Amino acid sequence: MKIASHLEKFRRLDATLRRLDPGGDQELWIWTAMNAGVHLLNAALHACRATLESDSFHSQVEGVYAVPDRTTGMLHDAMHAPGDVMHVGQPPVAPPLPAGIERASIALRTIEDLRERFVRGSERADAQLQRDWRTAYATCVRELLAVLDTWQHQQ
Amino acid sequence: MNAGAHRAKAEAIEQSLARCTTADYETVIEACMLAGTHWFNLALHATEPPLLDHDAMHAEFLTVGERRKIACVLPTALAALDTIESLRTPYVRGDLAGGAQAAQCALDSLAELRRAALHACTR
Repeated sequence: MKIASHLEKFRRLDATLRRLDPGGDQELWIWTAMNAGVHLLNAALHACRATLESDSFHSQVEGVYAVPDRTTGMLHDAMHAPGDVMHVGQPPVAPPLPAGIERASIALRTIEDLRERFVRGSERADAQLQRDWRTAYATCVRELLAVLDTWQHQQ
Repeated sequence: MNAGAHRAKAEAIEQSLARCTTADYETVIEACMLAGTHWFNLALHATEPPLLDHDAMHAEFLTVGERRKIACVLPTALAALDTIESLRTPYVRGDLAGGAQAAQCALDSLAELRRAALHACTR
């Protein structure tokens, strides 16, 4: 997807996330933080030309993209080089990546790895874990916005 | 996960979903997918004999054989989960126009899944 669209998605998801609580809304907080982070990661990867800024959306199948016909709204499947990533490392992106993206990816993977235990599973997080999650999300966002800020100044 | 835990997770996610409106369509669609999958699994647990020996994560990734079996017993639930999952690529990962309408469609499908699960449990 285009950088501008990823940034708009991030802003929308980040605004929703602020209305959610990692304790009371554990499942949706994790999922929304993950989606917001992935959109911002895609914007940063496109900006540093590690991945292709294209008018296609990642499907649920790694490496398969849905390409929209903007007139009809219909989608067709295509396989092409990344492109958007679905999650950190899915599909893999060739190194080297800017250090800020590497740091953000570690933080984002922390959030992605919560899905099995805390979204699909029944574990509940204590207050310390909730603080850790907020810190991971904040780190991811801060690092990626710094990458994008550098890119914007180069334009 | 057992049936009671699936129901508890579905209801917890629906409580969080209540904080959103269709203007938050990306989050609404994802919440419907998460809660809907728990309702779907609750319905599967209620079938006798069991249709699956594991929890379903995404309807899209069930085998052809599993889908054929489920379509015989829980056709509306399978169709509803398929509908919700089909909205994720264009409206959550993508920027197709019409997100609010898609969110309403996801909410309607979630209601269908809830009905199907609770009905399956009373049989």
